[in-house]
Amino acid sequence: MTAYILRRLLATLPVMAVVAVFVFFLLRIAPGDPAAIIAGEDATREAIEAVRAKLGLDRPILEQFALWLWRLAQGDLGVSIFSNLPVTRLIGQRLEPTVALTLSTLLVAVALAIPIGVVAAWQVRKLADRLVMIFAVLGFAVPGFLAAYVLIYIFAVQLQWLPVQGYRPIAEGLWPFVEGLILPSVALGVTYMALIARITRASMLEVLSQDYIRTANSKGLATRRVLLLHALKNAAVPIVTVIGIGIALLISGVVITETVFNIPGLGRLTVDAVLKRDYPIVQGLILVFAAVKVLVNLVIDISYAFLDPRIRY
Amino acid sequence: MTAMNILEVRDLATHFFTLDGVVRAVDGVSFDLARGETLGIVGESGCGKSVTALSILRLIPPETSRIVGGSVRFDGRDLAALSEAEMRAIRGHRIAMIFQEPMTSLNPVLTIGTQIAENVVRHTGVPWRAALDRAREMLDLVKIADARRRIEEYPHQLSGGMRQRAMIAIALSCNPQVLIADEPTTALDVTIQAQILDLMLELKEKLGTAIIMITHDLGVIAETAERVVVMYAGRKVEEAPVEALFAQPTHPYTRGLMHAVPRLDADAEIAGRRPRLQEIPGIVPALNRPIAGCAFAPRCGFATERCRAEAPPLVSTSAGHAVACWETARVLEAA
Amino acid sequence: MVAITDDTAAERAELPVMARWATAIRRNPTIAAGAVLLAVLVSLAILAPWLTVDPLKQATINRLRPPSERFWFGTDQFGRDIFARTLHGARVSLIVGLTVAAISGVIGLALGIVCGYFRRIDGIVMRIMDGIMAIPSILLAIALITLTRPGLAVVIIAIVIPEVPRVVRVVRSVVLSIRGQPYIDSAIAGGTRGFKLLARHVLPNTLAPLIVQATYICAAGMLIEAALSFLGAGVPPEIPSWGNIIAQGRNFFQIAPWTILIPGVFLALTVLAVNLMGDGLRDRLDPRLARRM
Repeated sequence: MTAYILRRLLATLPVMAVVAVFVFFLLRIAPGDPAAIIAGEDATREAIEAVRAKLGLDRPILEQFALWLWRLAQGDLGVSIFSNLPVTRLIGQRLEPTVALTLSTLLVAVALAIPIGVVAAWQVRKLADRLVMIFAVLGFAVPGFLAAYVLIYIFAVQLQWLPVQGYRPIAEGLWPFVEGLILPSVALGVTYMALIARITRASMLEVLSQDYIRTANSKGLATRRVLLLHALKNAAVPIVTVIGIGIALLISGVVITETVFNIPGLGRLTVDAVLKRDYPIVQGLILVFAAVKVLVNLVIDISYAFLDPRIRY
Repeated sequence: MTAMNILEVRDLATHFFTLDGVVRAVDGVSFDLARGETLGIVGESGCGKSVTALSILRLIPPETSRIVGGSVRFDGRDLAALSEAEMRAIRGHRIAMIFQEPMTSLNPVLTIGTQIAENVVRHTGVPWRAALDRAREMLDLVKIADARRRIEEYPHQLSGGMRQRAMIAIALSCNPQVLIADEPTTALDVTIQAQILDLMLELKEKLGTAIIMITHDLGVIAETAERVVVMYAGRKVEEAPVEALFAQPTHPYTRGLMHAVPRLDADAEIAGRRPRLQEIPGIVPALNRPIAGCAFAPRCGFATERCRAEAPPLVSTSAGHAVACWETARVLEAA
Repeated sequence: MVAITDDTAAERAELPVMARWATAIRRNPTIAAGAVLLAVLVSLAILAPWLTVDPLKQATINRLRPPSERFWFGTDQFGRDIFARTLHGARVSLIVGLTVAAISGVIGLALGIVCGYFRRIDGIVMRIMDGIMAIPSILLAIALITLTRPGLAVVIIAIVIPEVPRVVRVVRSVVLSIRGQPYIDSAIAGGTRGFKLLARHVLPNTLAPLIVQATYICAAGMLIEAALSFLGAGVPPEIPSWGNIIAQGRNFFQIAPWTILIPGVFLALTVLAVNLMGDGLRDRLDPRLARRM
């Protein structure tokens, strides 16, 4: 098992290497002079040269790459063009809100979507199932910012139950912290929930038609036990896979959600960096987000062994 | 209901509602099962024997099918009148079932021990630990060696024969009065088949369980059953004690089935012919249109106009032997 | 569902056209619903210049008017007509969605076939695809846009690149599964070679999953375009795309929610229509996949 985990961990290296090479050369092969684009429309020649020197674009490309990789290996993601602060520190400062938002969304979405999907499969073609399917289809179509604005309009502007915008760190107390996360989490989680509910329903339907479910019913077991133990455990692998795939949705969604709700997290950092064309920050964020995604997929792969005894390493 | 019978099925009718119309999978079937008896139900695939079994336990898929008529009385109670909760208390406890495919009928992600013990806990309410002891006991009973280790194992770690033994262990773990075995040996190797059948008969003697043995294999019937019901196209066409059925098969369909059994015939070999499996000509009729007359008539060498127009009633020919055929006299003459 | 039909093929062929349409809709209500909705939206987009006033015309005197008889969807802070802007926005969204689907479909198809055929290239290309797929698509698109001057073409390319690997995967798996089929062996043994093999056996089998995938990419493309524009990293702000309309209404959301909700609902409806078509097509073309999802 340990050997397997190590092997899989090693297998993520090529993917991360591709990502690193990709973001590195993206800047270099982009059409036009990247230094001029980053420096902005009305930059002077000196300003452009300053950007070029700062990014190391004046040196031979392989040297640049070697230096960049060497620093990356030491955990150095470079320095912001505008603030001159190390990218790692900037990311560190913005980490808490994003982690809080994504984790709360993940937990709430999984905790709600799986039961919803199970009920839909159990009540297939009945009212409850139809409602779940309508939710799932709509959840796929509603863009995150629309969901966010509708929620704000109803719960913050009209009912005034929850704050319109902003983020309060957990250090300022649990309720203000939670209060600020409710609307963003729901807005961020709609599509994710739709995805998980849909795959849960599909996977459960497939399992419920299996012979061993008939066996379980022939034993007179309670419906709850048949659904939640006999069926759900067998349906788990695709569900867990989709939970992992959906992490990408959450990461992309964070960028939008943090903008709408004015949350000072990594998503906001991304947008600000993009608008200021602060490429080292964008580059660093892409690497971090890609690493998170790859690691999540690794965890998912390993979890299969616990879900299905037939999988052996 | 006589006290002798543990199960009485009367005019059972189960229909499937499909896009191609209503399929009359079981079309008015009646039979009795005495306490401790082994009743064989035989017929080709699609004749409704499995659906009959599932209908007794009310396990047919509710989205597509419904029991539309008849009654099933178990130990004096009408099963159709029971609530779903009452029915669940009977399943696995008083009436248990084993299925054809030991490969797919056990849950792949739960241990053998769990799958036996949950049945025991469900119906006897003993603590989990005691149920696991019972599971070990059951594995010993069905002759799976090293039960202590096996209850920790998953179905994929067991051979096909062992899985079917485990299925039997689950089914018998609460001492049911009726065991319905739906093609229990069809998916197994021939040598394993015999072992499993012997095991079932042995346990039946030991525990006094009545068995409904559903199969398409007359060899299995000959080896296990005391009485036989022959089904065709959702109907019962013949019923007889096993000796009588083999000594004097009366319905043309039963005769067809017997000819379809391969055997090494000395005369045939002398004549220089290889023993050949004789098929019944024609195919089983589609069940999604009402069948006028005898369902077997289109394939029957004895069929007359009357056979095609009017369904034959079940007529007793000798003690315990009944057949649904208009042309019994001609058939017996031809033998 | 209990539907008892007894009609044979012969009887069905004689049905009048209307009845045949009715049958088609009953059998596949998802496609029908998606198609009708999409047809309405496409007609609105095409007819936008005739149905509406100039979407760019500012009139400070009419700023932030709520929906009324004169301004069906209200106006924004510059007094621009939201109805006009929303209908013109439909053109941007549909163009982006269709172009993204078409380009990533073609590139993905080509790469997928190459990967399915040549094992050596396969290893390299698939590693690159894995790398691209590890980057969240909006982020990748944003990064690409950061490096160039904004414009519709750049936005389309930035959305296409992260979508290509999804198509490659689908096409490649189809090609690989076809290559294992006995009938391909027999076709090769029978002398069918190269391009002919591709055209006769591989392409037809790839088409169904490709079309389904392209539909989903069309929907995703429209969502990503809107998100990018909303973030200020999309099409230039003077183009009335739905993302831009929403972005420009943000600061006035509390007093003029229609500036955001109306284009948002149109976006959702368009994506819904395309997704419904995708679901319906998938059920029709690829029943095996349908059972999984």
